[in-house]
Amino acid sequence: MIPYKYIFKKSIAFLVVLYAAITLNFLLPRLIPGDPAEVVYLAIIKEGGGSVNPVYIHQLEAEYGISNAPMYTQYLQYLEDLLHGNLGISIAFFPEPVSSILSEALPWTLYLVITSIVISFFIGNRLGRYAGINRNTFRDLLIDLFSMFMASFPAFVLAFIMLDIFSVDSGIFPIGGAYSSSVNIGFNMPFIVSAIYHSFLPILTIILTSIGGWVLGMRNNIIPNVNSDFISFSENLGLQKEQINRIAYRNAILPNLTGFSMSIGLSVSGVIIEESIFSYPGVGLYMITAIDSLDYPLLQGIFLMVIIAVLVGNLVVDILYGFFDPRIRQEGE
Amino acid sequence: MNHNLFKNRSINKIPFKFNKIIKPLKILLTNNKAKAGFIILTGMIIFGILGQFFTPYNPNKYEFAGSMPPSYAHILGTTVYGQDVFSQLFYGAAPTLLVGFSVGIIGTFISIFVGISAGFASERLNSIVTGIINIFLIIPGVLLIMLFGSYFLGIHESLGYLPTILILVITGWAFGARTFRSITLSIAKRDFILSSMLIGESRLSIMFRQIIRAIFPVIISNFFFTAMYGTMGLTFVEYLGVGNLLQINWGTMLYWAINNEAYLTGLWWWILPPSFMISILMFSFILLNFGMDEIGNPSLRRFNRKKNKKGDINEFTEN
Repeated sequence: MIPYKYIFKKSIAFLVVLYAAITLNFLLPRLIPGDPAEVVYLAIIKEGGGSVNPVYIHQLEAEYGISNAPMYTQYLQYLEDLLHGNLGISIAFFPEPVSSILSEALPWTLYLVITSIVISFFIGNRLGRYAGINRNTFRDLLIDLFSMFMASFPAFVLAFIMLDIFSVDSGIFPIGGAYSSSVNIGFNMPFIVSAIYHSFLPILTIILTSIGGWVLGMRNNIIPNVNSDFISFSENLGLQKEQINRIAYRNAILPNLTGFSMSIGLSVSGVIIEESIFSYPGVGLYMITAIDSLDYPLLQGIFLMVIIAVLVGNLVVDILYGFFDPRIRQEGE
Repeated sequence: MNHNLFKNRSINKIPFKFNKIIKPLKILLTNNKAKAGFIILTGMIIFGILGQFFTPYNPNKYEFAGSMPPSYAHILGTTVYGQDVFSQLFYGAAPTLLVGFSVGIIGTFISIFVGISAGFASERLNSIVTGIINIFLIIPGVLLIMLFGSYFLGIHESLGYLPTILILVITGWAFGARTFRSITLSIAKRDFILSSMLIGESRLSIMFRQIIRAIFPVIISNFFFTAMYGTMGLTFVEYLGVGNLLQINWGTMLYWAINNEAYLTGLWWWILPPSFMISILMFSFILLNFGMDEIGNPSLRRFNRKKNKKGDINEFTEN
């Protein structure tokens, strides 16, 4: 049974948020005092020297509100450019359009985010389940303290320490990049192995820093479930300990599943920071360069694309959730 | 009709009692996790206040030889530039704490207001506000910080403490609002709210007297969560280099240490102390957050069953 109405509702919400993000992206540079657009404009002229195409300058003026056209014309122009996939031209990597930079960088970021969030979710929930079932034991205390410490240590410092120990000093893992230069890009075995090898350290670091929330959340969800009436009932029925734990676990995982879609945004924040540290050629690496050189077109492109990716991720998770939890299905009908 | 009933309409006029403020604090200290967190945090605050008056050296001055390892004269060595690391750590504690607390307080106030009104309002308003909350939850905070920060850099301004707090509040209030909304939704269905409404108490008064009272532990727990976000966010702002890097706090200390590659050149006494101080501060926030959760949700608490073994009635004593 497909929960059509629920999917419809979620899709509408998705479109509304998407529209809000696009509009925010348009408004922000125009709301900040001191006109950052001027800075972009001057930088482009300086970078391109005399060879800047006048058509391009005209387009830039329209994009950054330097033109004296009324706001709504600028807005319509902005939307039209967006529909054509035109995000402007980067300043730091001058003649290259933002959209081509992003199409190179975004897949790597998505790969990191999806892999790390899924692994972290599964391991975190299992650890939390173990701690919650064995609560008030020494093992529980160890897991709790580990999770709390991991959640509280600054993520980027951990990344630097990992980089220093495992890449720089011992050379076990590569210092940067997403794959070694000796393999052909494509769907072949050496490339996949090389990509996994290069991404191992960043993914491990992201998992370590994001796992604490899942562990502690799961532990606190499962404890009331273990103490609840339906568990005593199952015990009296003579079910095995493992079966009972599974029942409690299934009930306790629901809040974490809801949290899953919400945590995508947070994980993306983390991944962006880690990428710049591990010189991983994702969005984060370009972002640091973009901030340093005040590359507004690139920054705005990153902002928009990452938000669209996060929104799509949210929509997919929400729809899947509708299949998992019958209560939500009913609510939508 | 009994007129005393109307004279004693105490629901609309709950007398302010000092006890009501002190009592939650006392409960706070009955929980082991919360107690540990409270002690660490108090220590941090004292450290921060003392740091404003008693630094061993001037934290701003470049007056020593650079990259000196820890010694008696310099407990935590010196930076590449020749600043005393311990003085910086000592002096930078207060601003770090202040940013964390301000974000916690302002963010919690906004989320209380938004969350409770959404949970108690009509269905249409509820869905609109929920949509707004979701937008703020979904947008990754780092991206907004980076956009704002770079616009400010473009006009040759860096984010001072006030803009930093502001942007962290903007990106951080939504988590709490979501929690408060869902709790308010469930509390609004309970009998004591219905009876208050039947007596004729105004909706505003129910929202901000009755419901706030009922969810007080959650509010405190959320305050520590938001304060944690604020502290973490400060380090992000400084790490991205969009903050005012001449200010001394644990975030800027990390920024300078990282940008001079202290982790590669073996200057561990420069990068590790601020990291661990941040981590201890966050740790105390997490402990308090979890302790308050346990106080609000008794099924998470631990109990001693000593009396049960002797064959007495099920009488639990709290540990």
